[in-house]
Amino acid sequence: MKEKIKDFISSFGLPRLIISAFLLALFILSPIVGADLPMQITNVINRFSWNAVLVLAMVPMVHSGCGLNFGLPLGIVAGLLGGTLSLEFGFTGPMSFLMAVLIATPFALLFGGGYGWLLNKIKGGEMMIATYVGFSSVSFMCMMWLLLPYHKADMVWGLSGKGLRTTISLEGYYDKALSNFLQINIGKISIPMGALLLFALLAFAMWAFLHTKTGTAMTAVGSNPNFAKAAGIHVDKIRMLSVVMSTWLGAVGILVYQQGFGFIQLYNAPFYMALPAVSAILIGGASVNKASIINVIVGTFLFQGIVTMTPTVMNNMIHMDMSEVIRMIASNGMILYALTRRSEVRR
Amino acid sequence: MNKKRMWIIRGCTLLAVLAIAAVMLVVGRGHTVYIDNKALEYNGQTFEAMYRSEVWVGGERLSKLAKKERTMSTVIGQGFEMNLINTANKGDDPSEVSVKLSLPYGWDGIVVNLPGYLAGLPQEAWMTEFIPAPEPASEEDEEPETFEDEIPMGDI
Amino acid sequence: MSSVNQKGGSRSVGKTVRSFLAGNSVPIMFILICAVCIPISGFSPDYLLNEIITRLGRNAFLILSLLIPIMAGMGLNFGMTLGAMAGEIALIFVSDWQIWGIPGVILAMIVSVPFSVVLGWFCGKIMNMAKGREMITSYIISFFINGVYQLIVLYMMGSVIPIAHSSIKLPRGYGIRNTVGLLNMRQCIDNLLAIRIGGVKIPALTLLIIALMCLLIVWFRRTKLGQDMRAVGQDMQVARDAGIQVERTRIISIIISTVLAGFGMILYLQNIGNLSTYSAHSQVGMFCIAALLVGGASVDRASIGNVFLGVILFHLMFIVAPQAGAKITGDSMIGEYFRVFVSYGVITMALIMYEMKKRRQKASIGEQLALAQKEGLQHE
Repeated sequence: MKEKIKDFISSFGLPRLIISAFLLALFILSPIVGADLPMQITNVINRFSWNAVLVLAMVPMVHSGCGLNFGLPLGIVAGLLGGTLSLEFGFTGPMSFLMAVLIATPFALLFGGGYGWLLNKIKGGEMMIATYVGFSSVSFMCMMWLLLPYHKADMVWGLSGKGLRTTISLEGYYDKALSNFLQINIGKISIPMGALLLFALLAFAMWAFLHTKTGTAMTAVGSNPNFAKAAGIHVDKIRMLSVVMSTWLGAVGILVYQQGFGFIQLYNAPFYMALPAVSAILIGGASVNKASIINVIVGTFLFQGIVTMTPTVMNNMIHMDMSEVIRMIASNGMILYALTRRSEVRR
Repeated sequence: MNKKRMWIIRGCTLLAVLAIAAVMLVVGRGHTVYIDNKALEYNGQTFEAMYRSEVWVGGERLSKLAKKERTMSTVIGQGFEMNLINTANKGDDPSEVSVKLSLPYGWDGIVVNLPGYLAGLPQEAWMTEFIPAPEPASEEDEEPETFEDEIPMGDI
Repeated sequence: MSSVNQKGGSRSVGKTVRSFLAGNSVPIMFILICAVCIPISGFSPDYLLNEIITRLGRNAFLILSLLIPIMAGMGLNFGMTLGAMAGEIALIFVSDWQIWGIPGVILAMIVSVPFSVVLGWFCGKIMNMAKGREMITSYIISFFINGVYQLIVLYMMGSVIPIAHSSIKLPRGYGIRNTVGLLNMRQCIDNLLAIRIGGVKIPALTLLIIALMCLLIVWFRRTKLGQDMRAVGQDMQVARDAGIQVERTRIISIIISTVLAGFGMILYLQNIGNLSTYSAHSQVGMFCIAALLVGGASVDRASIGNVFLGVILFHLMFIVAPQAGAKITGDSMIGEYFRVFVSYGVITMALIMYEMKKRRQKASIGEQLALAQKEGLQHE
């Protein structure tokens, strides 16, 4: 019996256990300390719906052995281009969301293609280079947001009329476009079905893809590249495909996030956005070279649960808001734990 | 034998470093000395302020104090030296006094009352601790930013 | 006859020129950027000279701390932020104890050592558990410890850890303010033996300390520990077979680097005179690594020359970019974003070049092995 518990702990991971227990404690404490539990649950579900697609973007690259996609900001930038251009071209309402996705797609394909080509040239050092490719692209776009000829009045700075603002409100555009679609209210808990349906659709598509011939080839490339090459699989092409998929999902993901959050955030905002997605999927049970859809769902739920509930519960309990610090320690600790585990494939 | 020597050397280095730290703690203790030319009441007696007192610190004139005036000087270390050129009443000849004080370690700010000191009173009479008035809580320091979400943009 | 020789000669010259350009592409690119931006920015040479010397004195020690992990094969030590945090904590304490001037700086350096050693040991231990991924691990460690640092400085200082002066605490009573003034230590080392020539101030004592550090590093490379580190950096398996305690040596290299980073941060802060409690260390970490790479260093090779060349070129670019950007596009923010972009771009390029070189080396070793096997078979 003790052996079984030990095995469970070592396979599930001690940090994960701690985090899950912590979240459970938060849920139990929440009504006790006077926090509004239904509202908390609504918040958690809402934040889940915003972030899940970004976490899903991690899956293709983990499967193909490119590691955790620290270069997610590149896909986010593609999504930002899609969003801003859709607004610039005058689309409003839910249509602007659809157009944002459509416009972002060619950018995502282009960026993902270049990024994938680069990663193929530097097999073995993907994660570090991905991080800095992400940073370079965000800081390059910082210059671009100032220089590109945007004209829409509520996007540019008022005084000079040139250069995009740091945050652009999405009211009237695609703010809550998905969340309000098919919103179900159970008692005091409101569930944004639209966003969840989109995530479910994409997740199902990913799961289905991974069971196709190309998908299984992708998994083979990640878990055993020599076998894959011997079986005649074109390793580089598959890796490039995974990077393009991940970038595109990142673009869609940030658009989903924006419609929930209500604002487009430019300049420095996408800078560190890879880290929450990375630690979320790791919390959900993934490792550097293994990730499943279940990991995405569980991980996003746990991560967003902690992020949402810690501030309110802590504030009500000890009148001290340590949530930022706890989030930093927990999420980065999780990434460290994953990086230090012995992985099956060592190159 | 070799290992023992290594530990001895390490122990000595540690002790030396700790000694340096202790010395620094004493030598580097900074104080602000406030020098008052104010009348002092002590034991029922009143010691009058001087008409004018020139305070010289480190070879340079710090200030010319009239009655009721205060000047200040920062000093590193436990000793404070100053030269005074005192004129007790208007028209008197100035007299020079050289002052050497040893400052208590625990006080940040020290107030020295010149009339009391010059009258030769015991130290508690003319040396008091300076306690700054509590600053009103300023709004600008509300919530410290955690700065995790910022690209380093500042100057280095 | 002679024409064939001439052709061969010029080809080899062309080859050397090309390999020189390729090997030093980053510094050359920076020289070009500076050559373009400096005249546009309109700064006077006097001003630039003064700024560069000041920044050299401020940053060189920090960048020197990066050399040892590179020697030991740990790559770019993003964990130098940990040393910077240790230095900051020490300075907060020393400020609170009201120890001023040079004794304050010395005391802060001494106090920072235990923190640096603990943090460096932690960093090295975790990096040993993630062999092959040292750089991304040290990068995440810096974020993780940043969280711990904030836990200590934002919550424990003032409440659990006694801080005497409310002037450095937040209005709520615990936690340190966003900025802590270091006026009583400001430039105390810089000013002690300052030489003023024309409009330029040369902080002789600071530069002397930096020179001593360089000599120390050169001496260290020749000691047994230094040689061990170089062996570990070259090839871990060979070093292990030679009897070197590889794990321990790697951890020691990180500890030394962290301690030096702590000292360097204290020197940096005494020059600026002001501590941005929550942002100083991360800024410093990123820019120092960029500066080292600009000087021509790579992930596995860095020399003292790289440090100084890097400081000069990187900081020249850093100073002139905002002004040049303002003159070109009318918006000074462009220049500021540009210098951040260039810093990240330089690191990205260095990482890419390093990885590509690694792969080429592996491929060529594989080829040589295959060739040797073939020849071995032929001889049988």
